Amino acid sequence: MGLLRLLIFGFIGLSVVYVAISVYSRSVRREKLEGEWAENHPGDSDSAARADFIEAGMTEYNAGIRPKLILLVYVVPAVLVIATLIMTN
Amino acid sequence: MAYVKNTLRIVLFLTFGTLFLYVLPQHDVARISGTEVIRMDFSSINRIFFAQADSANQELATRDIRLISTSKRKTFLLGFIPREAEGVMVYRNEDTGWIWPPYFKFDSSDLQAEAQANVSSPENEQWVVITHYGWRNRFFTIYPNAIGIRPVEGPDVRIIPWFNIFFFIFLGAAALFIRAMWRQFRERSIDPALSEAGEAWERVDARAEDARGRFSRWLGTWRSKPKR
Repeated sequence: MGLLRLLIFGFIGLSVVYVAISVYSRSVRREKLEGEWAENHPGDSDSAARADFIEAGMTEYNAGIRPKLILLVYVVPAVLVIATLIMTN
Repeated sequence: MAYVKNTLRIVLFLTFGTLFLYVLPQHDVARISGTEVIRMDFSSINRIFFAQADSANQELATRDIRLISTSKRKTFLLGFIPREAEGVMVYRNEDTGWIWPPYFKFDSSDLQAEAQANVSSPENEQWVVITHYGWRNRFFTIYPNAIGIRPVEGPDVRIIPWFNIFFFIFLGAAALFIRAMWRQFRERSIDPALSEAGEAWERVDARAEDARGRFSRWLGTWRSKPKR
């Protein structure tokens, strides 16, 4: 029973962390792309080409390994719990 | 405002400080003088300072508690400054199970056997390092919970609290990360919304100003004309 409770509440808690980190990471990437565009095209802050550039960058980000690395949020605590279990008992 | 903020900060600091003082592992250098099992009838005062019945057992209002009696080296500053003085200390030995605090301890019986195997006698002194969390309080009858027992050569051992070091490093990193996340959120989501709201408000205000102008002009038509 205790294990079930740990799994359920742990999953909920870690999901909150996972979503928060995903949103943050995406936001940072978008800001970086916007900054890159502003550096190369000074004066242009609202054009279709800019939107395309940022969307392409975000698609590339979504396909990369970084979003998958955020899944470590679930893996690391699980490993820590198992390590603690082994070390205590 | 600063007064409220500072008060809030102090309250938060004290709350978390107390929580960490209770939950984080500490190490005592001690000699075990014996073990015993007593029946405890918890009250609402001291119930929260005990864990639960052994793993897979039924939880009843009354149960037996394993105790480890020791004579331990006293210290200053939570063990950072060792002393020669000795004092008695009694530890309880309970499963923490799956929930809280997250020590995942299921081996209370084994730990009790280890304690009994390392009982010290005046002619044959046996020193151990006892890892524990929790407090001893005579008025509430609460005991720190022993987590591990490690035999050592003598009382002068150097203990490095690795877990606590990494825990506080992690805590600091997590706090910085949350701050960065909050700043990013404010910069990208709240500030644009606020400035948009501000602009909208300015538009409303300008229109109100305009309307007021018209109204007072209309009112003006009722006022008596300056005499020629």
